[in-house]
Amino acid sequence: MQSGQYEHREVFYACKYTPIELLAGFGATPRIAEADVASFAYADALAHPNLCGYGKGLIERMMAADVREAVLVTCCDVVRRVYDVLRASARMDFLYLLDLPHRRGPAEVALFRRRLRALADAYAAYSGAQFDVGAACAACGTGVGRADNHVTLMGAHASASLVAEVEKGVGMPVENATCTSRHLKVSPPPQLARMAAGPACGTCCDNTGAMAAADPLDAFLDWYAPALLGQIPCMRMDDVAERDELVGERGQRGVVYHTMKFCDYYGFEYGALAEKDEIPMVKIETDGTSQSEGQLRTRLEAFGETLRARGGAAHHEEPAPATTGNSLDAAKAGTYVMGVDSGSTSTDVVIMDANRDIVATVIVPTGARAADAAARAMDEALSKAGLAAGDVAMRVSTGYGRDNIEGMDSSVTEITCHARGAHYLAPDARSVIDIGGQDSKVIHLNANGSVAGFVMNDKCAAGTGRFMEAMARVLEMDLDEFCRRGLEWRHEVRITSMCTVFAESEVVSLVAANTPTPDVIHGLDVSVARKTATLASRVGAEPPYLMTGGVAQNEGVVRALSEVLKAPVATHADSQLCGAIGAALIGLDALGKRNGEK
Amino acid sequence: MAGPSAGERLIGWYGGIAEKNLSSRPAFVRNWLMLGFQAMRGKVHLAPYGDLLPSGNHGYQLFMDFVVGALADFDNAVVTSVFTPNEIFHALGARPVTAEAVASFASGAQAEGGFIAAAEGRGIPETYCSYHRILMGMATSGVLGKPRMLASCSVACDANNLTFKTLGRFWGVPHAYVDVPYDVSRDSVLYVADELREMAHAAEDAFSRKLDEERLRQACACSERTIRELAATLPTRRGRYLANTMTIDMMEMLDLHLLLGLPECEDLAHEMQRDFLAAAPYEGVNLVWAHVSPYFLESIGELVNTSKTSQIVASDMMFEHVPTDGEAWFDASSPFEFMAERLVRSCFNGPATRRADCIEHLARETNADAVVLFCHWGCKQTAGAAQLIRRQLEGAGWPVLVLDGDACDRANCMEGQMSTRFSAFLEMVEKRKQEDKRS
Repeated sequence: MQSGQYEHREVFYACKYTPIELLAGFGATPRIAEADVASFAYADALAHPNLCGYGKGLIERMMAADVREAVLVTCCDVVRRVYDVLRASARMDFLYLLDLPHRRGPAEVALFRRRLRALADAYAAYSGAQFDVGAACAACGTGVGRADNHVTLMGAHASASLVAEVEKGVGMPVENATCTSRHLKVSPPPQLARMAAGPACGTCCDNTGAMAAADPLDAFLDWYAPALLGQIPCMRMDDVAERDELVGERGQRGVVYHTMKFCDYYGFEYGALAEKDEIPMVKIETDGTSQSEGQLRTRLEAFGETLRARGGAAHHEEPAPATTGNSLDAAKAGTYVMGVDSGSTSTDVVIMDANRDIVATVIVPTGARAADAAARAMDEALSKAGLAAGDVAMRVSTGYGRDNIEGMDSSVTEITCHARGAHYLAPDARSVIDIGGQDSKVIHLNANGSVAGFVMNDKCAAGTGRFMEAMARVLEMDLDEFCRRGLEWRHEVRITSMCTVFAESEVVSLVAANTPTPDVIHGLDVSVARKTATLASRVGAEPPYLMTGGVAQNEGVVRALSEVLKAPVATHADSQLCGAIGAALIGLDALGKRNGEK
Repeated sequence: MAGPSAGERLIGWYGGIAEKNLSSRPAFVRNWLMLGFQAMRGKVHLAPYGDLLPSGNHGYQLFMDFVVGALADFDNAVVTSVFTPNEIFHALGARPVTAEAVASFASGAQAEGGFIAAAEGRGIPETYCSYHRILMGMATSGVLGKPRMLASCSVACDANNLTFKTLGRFWGVPHAYVDVPYDVSRDSVLYVADELREMAHAAEDAFSRKLDEERLRQACACSERTIRELAATLPTRRGRYLANTMTIDMMEMLDLHLLLGLPECEDLAHEMQRDFLAAAPYEGVNLVWAHVSPYFLESIGELVNTSKTSQIVASDMMFEHVPTDGEAWFDASSPFEFMAERLVRSCFNGPATRRADCIEHLARETNADAVVLFCHWGCKQTAGAAQLIRRQLEGAGWPVLVLDGDACDRANCMEGQMSTRFSAFLEMVEKRKQEDKRS
């Protein structure tokens, strides 16, 4: 710590146990360090890439020129290391690490109070400011939970932009209950305020002895230390039973659970909540950057669709898809709808008539521009069906590129569409395993085919079509040959790594050791199956299983999955069209509603 | 990089069978693994390694005896984190077994992949420490039985707070937790001493036995002597051939935590000192190894295992605090405060500079040529401190290699790249050493 002239009034902080009201009592303006940064250049160089995104973001933010004062708390390993890095940089005027007890009994409260006093003394010495108990009390707002329809964002720290993203995606107001969001559950007692307003008699007016401290700072800390420790605990605390209050509160329609790569605490709570299955919940994982927004949006919008399907009132009702201008004519001429699934590898189009019969299908490679591929695929589909563009009354898009296709009436996430399409293709299916080029997902269906729950892989390529393509390239063969040769295996080979880079290294070693290629491919098939089965177990998937997506055409993976899941895994000739079929069916529903059907 | 040896392939087959049967036949997997562990225990007694020092073989045998014994009698076991003081459990006649030791067994059997998948299937993050993921997988798949209790402390990592608490709930057994304050102060030590008293009460309840404080005092006195003897081995290691391997080094480290407070542990420390004093001179590169090691990677191990060109001379996991004269506030006559002080002063507690100072002290005491800092997957304590430690040590004149990998999950290691980096580093240090000699 360096003392200096007291110019900077902003104290940056991260943890919800930071005594910001105490600092406010010294005239400081506490400000949460928003770690929403584009890259982690400093953090990777000064610390290590394998820290959580928030910790790395904190390093980036706190190295900025405007941050001169900061108070960190020993809440977790990463923040301890962030402090070390900042201390080594020696660029702060005031940098303090407050040791947080992780239990909340009387001994810990006493310990914490002593530490708060030490911080207060250090800040007073640094700033030269006097403690103003009135200012400290005024800073103690008590948060009141939302009672209206909302979703609660739980888990690891969420930046303001992530909160906004959730609100936009789900379509409901968001209550932020992540690890850095704080509120004291109690207000300062009136005696403290009287101490501030009255003469500096230094003694308490009541006879209870509760406010016997002579010094306003001591009196404040006597009340404040247990209040600060008494917040709803973060997952780092030893006893976290009180966190049960965060689930099932009034007006809560669902929970969006945010985990962050390399932050371990919240994965545990998510796992426990998922097992209880008390409330609709979706998990989103970020690395502290906004790079995985596409996948995040799909999950959030799909979750919003699920909540609305369950009857949860939305913040803003999605308008029913508007039909294209000539829909009335189309209804006369015979109703056709179009589903367009703009995926990372292929763009699939299905045209369906009012009897739910498929009239035409087209699959084209997506290539570099999703919009161009979609336009081409739609033209081809219309041509195959012998229809003109005006004959289609409703067009619904899905997939990653769903919002970038011109001429669509609405877009729906691929989760909802795949569920719908799978129910159409295999009405008995209760779980859909979809492994596409860029992601893999498992959707657990209700008996009526609606989404009971879903889970998606994280943003790395592990276990996806991209992974298989990369491995085929390593073995110098095309994907068809790769799939075919994998069925000729004789001996089991274990490939343990699912990381594309590591697995490539394993494959190269196996090839160098003259392992037969079919055995290597089978090893890869089994490793993808295991990864997918792990994903399936997280969402409580159950048979009958239907596999969709491009990887469903790899019979080796399908067989391996069946073995790992210990149940048959069905595929369907049209499984690659599953998303587009679902989109078309949703289009028909919308058209039916528009035309007054029940 | 050569393909796996015949022994590795055999163990691969053995681990594969465990993995394959894990979800459907956990009882079979338990018996299958125990069969292998017992066989290995018999092997190290009947056919000790001829190229190790006697203390090396003795350390291996002790490790196998205690861990296999605890796994076979799991109902009387206390699963602990590596730095949790075990004197209380030894004084109670209980069987402490370190989580890292249990996970290392699974990893040694090449069965870690199945356990890791089982843990991840229950929502345990992929970025979580692999030791803890393996332990969680072993527990939740039903392969481990149910221990009598769990005991952990916040040193060295956050995972200790999560794994043990979660397993306590899963097994329905008590979990005693010691939260270690950041600062080295009497205030911190007294606070931890009270927590250890609570831990002792929890153990008394779990085992329905009364703790004999005199016995505890004797165990702590034994620990005190062991730690001093161990510290005395540091200068003895200078320039001597220690004939060790990564595996032996890890096992001795675990012995010296798991058994600290027992006469066997004190005997081991004395035996090490005797062996080192009688050891042949060593001309190769001496390394201080920071943190755990990927002992199962053959291409890494062969660079330092009983090697005439480079060896590991000390590790901060074994010497997490080297006492200096007149520093201690408490001795074994105040057993709870004595154990508490050890925890508070650990280099794995507090700022990164404390860890760097400890590693620097080890390098100085052993006259080491270089330092390898192994960033084990999921260990944020080490990863976050890596560059700070590197800078401090390089500033003090030691070359440092920061090596990323995983100390118990093969799938998480890029062996070829790790091996190339480690080899190149050793070549660089060797050259530098020769140049120093010439000058």
